Amino acid sequence: MAVFILYPFVSTVINSFTDRRTLIPGEFVGLANFRELLHDEMFWTGLRNSTLYVLGVVPALVLLPLLLALLVQKNIPGITFFRSAFYTPVVASIVVVGLIWVWLLDERGLVNSLLEAIGIGKVGFLSDQWLLLLSAMAVTVWKGLGYYMIIYLAALANVPRELHEAASVDGAGAVRRFLTVTVPAVRSTMVLVAALSSVAAFKVFSEVYLMAGPDGGPAGEDTTLVMLVQRTGTGLTGRVGYASALSVVVFVVTVALMLLVLRADRKEDA
Amino acid sequence: MSIPRRALVTAAVALVLPLSACGSGDSGGSTDASGKVEGDITFQTWNLRANFKAYFEGVIVDFEKKYPGTHVKWIDQPAEGYADKISADAAGGTLPDVVNVSPDLVAPLAKAGLALDLDKSAAQYEKEYLAGAWASHRIPGMTGTYAFPWYLNTGPLFYNKSLFKEAGLDAAQPPTTYDELFSEALQLAKKSDGKVATLANVPTVEDFGRYGVELMNKAGTAFSFNDAKGIELLTKYKELYDAKALDAQALTATPESSGRKFLTGAVAMNPGSALDLGNFKKQAPNLYRNIGITDQITSTGKVNMYVMGVMVNSRTKQTPAAVAFAHYVTDARNQMSFAKKVAIFPSTAGSLGDPYFTQEDGTDETRVRIAAAKSLKNAVNYTPVLFSEQMKTALRNEVAKALQGKESPKTALDNAVKTCDTLLRQQG
Repeated sequence: MAVFILYPFVSTVINSFTDRRTLIPGEFVGLANFRELLHDEMFWTGLRNSTLYVLGVVPALVLLPLLLALLVQKNIPGITFFRSAFYTPVVASIVVVGLIWVWLLDERGLVNSLLEAIGIGKVGFLSDQWLLLLSAMAVTVWKGLGYYMIIYLAALANVPRELHEAASVDGAGAVRRFLTVTVPAVRSTMVLVAALSSVAAFKVFSEVYLMAGPDGGPAGEDTTLVMLVQRTGTGLTGRVGYASALSVVVFVVTVALMLLVLRADRKEDA
Repeated sequence: MSIPRRALVTAAVALVLPLSACGSGDSGGSTDASGKVEGDITFQTWNLRANFKAYFEGVIVDFEKKYPGTHVKWIDQPAEGYADKISADAAGGTLPDVVNVSPDLVAPLAKAGLALDLDKSAAQYEKEYLAGAWASHRIPGMTGTYAFPWYLNTGPLFYNKSLFKEAGLDAAQPPTTYDELFSEALQLAKKSDGKVATLANVPTVEDFGRYGVELMNKAGTAFSFNDAKGIELLTKYKELYDAKALDAQALTATPESSGRKFLTGAVAMNPGSALDLGNFKKQAPNLYRNIGITDQITSTGKVNMYVMGVMVNSRTKQTPAAVAFAHYVTDARNQMSFAKKVAIFPSTAGSLGDPYFTQEDGTDETRVRIAAAKSLKNAVNYTPVLFSEQMKTALRNEVAKALQGKESPKTALDNAVKTCDTLLRQQG
């Protein structure tokens, strides 16, 4: 643990106070890197995109897998096939998945061909800054559905059937039973899913890198914070010190996000 | 819970040891290459094992036979992430003795003192190479030459004759100047109702160079591609982008994605090399039947060339063997032999005069090879050796802003130059 987690962490924190480059050890520069990132336009772009990613992806990943779990929870013939089908994207390689979506959403890809055929015309999924980010979010949600669905299935198995039966006797419909029985019963699981997915969403790299390219989309407008860390700190001329400062910020925001979600949960409990 | 003292000490040592190793800077080897050629060395190539395993094994066997007592261990790295692999090795002190590099990779290694200065250690070999090729591994602001020149590459501009004909253009008369290129691209976009673009890539620093823009000042201390000529080129690209003569996905394109677009007929022109003809034949027979081949467009009269080099690690413990092997791989005989296996060109003096590069045999491959070899005699590697990956990204992002209309071409290039100058200063 000391070698693989603690040392890299401490090393990153130390480097964030230096002007270290890939091949040049560097010197202590105090808070200069942190001051610089306040004036770095690309840092704010990265922070904006990573935050938008959390806002776009987390609600979908908290709610949709729950609905999916409710659908596949029933023991009806053939349901195992659907459970496996929904889980397949989870085990697929993100690189393969990313490339398939790039082909699908390309200007001459299947999706645009269909849109053109029904008269909507071509949509610049991979050339418009916002559509690119939305497309990447959609891939993240699509790929994560199965994983969180399994977590919800485990939680739903623990919800007493009697509660649903009692609510039904009291005249509650499906929606009311979902809101008054299912949601309260799996609330702690929803918090767990929210915490896990928000951390993963804030640190997103692969989906955006694969779909928007190494530059982070047109004019780098889809760059996320982790992509910026990679771009700044790698290569023979990488600015390791500055990239470390960016990493420290990512770490602080991620921890803050976790605490925020857990605090919200505790408030609800109180 | 109390933590055992021994565990704390172990953790502290584990933390401190690697930290202290970071700045140790063991200078290792010697610059004197005159000793006996012997010992074990490691040679690293850049994605060459898959297609040229037998060739390199042959070169190594011949070298070991010529210099008994030497042993060469060959390692090959994939193309993807090659610079990152070298960075990790260089930072970790595990850089191989002899490394396949490009000029932009040599620059930071030379600045970090990791590349052997061949002007000191192997100056006697300079005359064996083309003067321009030898100079391509010199770094502005430093004295010395930091890699043996290896193979050169350049290529023509391919175009899709069918798309030209459909747009009412003369497929037998492709554009030869930038003005012709821009006007024909606009016509092609108009006739195809924006469905077919002529170009798939935004202009790179190499394009600015070929257009005649001064990329850096004479001293190599600052960039200057925001001059009037640079702004003119970007303004023209903006016109192309607005008219869909530049592909809509050009802002996020990679060389691979634009190659695919050319294969599928989504774009009408694409730069390439003689190597691509085989791909067209195999992957897009229809395109191959309609392929047009023309020269690179340039305003300077000099086409662009890519240079590969072979660098000797300055910290090698076997300097004579490493220098001898780097020279052996890049000498005229081996370069010529390699050039006959793949569409590349030797950087050794006189090799381009070989009948292989001058005599037609009626095939397209030979025609492209002869034209490329001819143009290489006064070709230029337009990409400045100090132009890092971060600088390339900065330029691409500013160019994209100009094309999207978020900034004027002048503001975009001013910003790009400002960022690149800052990065250049930070490189030291």
